[in-house]
Amino acid sequence: MILQIIVDMVGLGATYALLTIGIALLFGILGLMNFAYGEIIMIGAFAMYLFKDYPWFVGVLAAVVFAVVVSVLTERLAFRPLRNADPVTLMIASFAVSLALQSVMRMTVLPRTQGVPPQPFLTESITVFGIRVTVLQIVTLVLCGVLLGGLALLMKKTPLGVQLRASAENFQVAKSLGVKGSFVIMSAFAIAGVMAAASGIILVARQGAVSAEMGLTPLLIGIVGAVVGGMSNLKGAALGGLLLGMGTGLLEATLPTDLIAFRDAFLYSAVMVVLVIRPQGLLSGTKVRTS
Amino acid sequence: MLLEINELFVRYGKSVMALQGASLEVGEGELVSLIGQNGAGKSTLLKSIVGIAPVHSGSITYDGAAVTDKKFSVIKNRIAYVPEDRGVFSSLTVGENLRLGAVSRKDTRNIDADIERELARFPILGEYWSRGASLLSGGEQQQLAIARALLLRPKLLLLDEPTLGLAPIIVDLIFDVIEQLRDEGVTILLVEQNAVRSIEVSNRSYVMQAPGKILGSGNAKELAANEAVVDYLGFSPTGLLGDSE
Repeated sequence: MILQIIVDMVGLGATYALLTIGIALLFGILGLMNFAYGEIIMIGAFAMYLFKDYPWFVGVLAAVVFAVVVSVLTERLAFRPLRNADPVTLMIASFAVSLALQSVMRMTVLPRTQGVPPQPFLTESITVFGIRVTVLQIVTLVLCGVLLGGLALLMKKTPLGVQLRASAENFQVAKSLGVKGSFVIMSAFAIAGVMAAASGIILVARQGAVSAEMGLTPLLIGIVGAVVGGMSNLKGAALGGLLLGMGTGLLEATLPTDLIAFRDAFLYSAVMVVLVIRPQGLLSGTKVRTS
Repeated sequence: MLLEINELFVRYGKSVMALQGASLEVGEGELVSLIGQNGAGKSTLLKSIVGIAPVHSGSITYDGAAVTDKKFSVIKNRIAYVPEDRGVFSSLTVGENLRLGAVSRKDTRNIDADIERELARFPILGEYWSRGASLLSGGEQQQLAIARALLLRPKLLLLDEPTLGLAPIIVDLIFDVIEQLRDEGVTILLVEQNAVRSIEVSNRSYVMQAPGKILGSGNAKELAANEAVVDYLGFSPTGLLGDSE
């Protein structure tokens, strides 16, 4: 029973970690709280709906392409012209992009919620030592592991990763050293697009439906998780998302039935306690010695 | 002259005039220092060269090209800038920080040799190669910042208060390195509050008084002959070494 709860918690935690990483990546590099991130997730999910009659991997590929293209386009058309604007202006712009994407989808190809039948293989489950694990949970964990591991490798071992980390810490100094700011920012949006696509793919598989408004909840989860973990720290953001998801899973499994409706009240009370103790987030970087 | 600044006015906002008609020249291979008290406008002058401070009027010419031109590239013209806060990336290792200094270089084959050269100049950086830069002391961070700037193979090196807040032994080390670079022929514009040491190592020095006015310039003897400069500095630079005679 306990192991089953832990497996479910980790599965949800991994999904939430993916949400937080994409948000923290852009916040770290641009200082941009991108409220349009939820819509990028929605675009990825929409691709899954569009290609629902094709083999699953075609939908997955399309989700990645759609989300990356739209993510990069939002950077090129909306955020690049505001490159030197203050964070509040950027945040308002991201609201505008979010609403615009939602409205366009609602007016054109996604006027109402559309069902996406779950892939039969994803709903199957296996039982190991009495623990029931669905293929979707395994896929979620593997996808999260691969993406988070891949991102960690990219950030640690590649010149682009080093430039991304440097830009995230001090964009002006990175630029003064010759780091190509526009390329680095575009890459960050592309990576965030991949993360959003992965989130969209998993959400569609869990919910079995797509709607123009579906990005809002994952966006809020992503922001809260990233704030809990440490907004400018990718490891912290992933940890925040993981803990938030695990906390949600734990409450779902352990709360009495008549209290389950208040799950989020318990969860966000705990979040507030964490933030009172660690307002900078759980992992917030090390301090620089001055002498 | 490699760098010529004429009648430069820099204004922050509508009312704060940080530089008021500053003029300065740096010849190729020269070490020129800009000295003055806190808030005199020295750092602003360096920032205006690299495009961080907004030029209100006047001109900055580098190798015949207008620096204020939108097409002018600080990096392509190999101008390296070490800011007052050093600009070391605390989330990166020492090695990653150092390699970033060469990120814009096309001659990738020579980069490793240049890194070796800088590690020989600053041995502590080799020792701490894989260590997070946040764990370095202020003096070590300054060495890293200078080494990183040198990896651009700069034609002009701008150093902003490189000894600020450092222990005397590290100040000596930094000035030794500056002298070494001068002897290697690197053109340097050094902003410093340590007037004595700066005048000693420089070919020429400019003395700047708030708000952003050049009070006088020249080698130690010429500065000593300038009453306003002597009054401002509070000592006569007569007898200090380092003039270009």
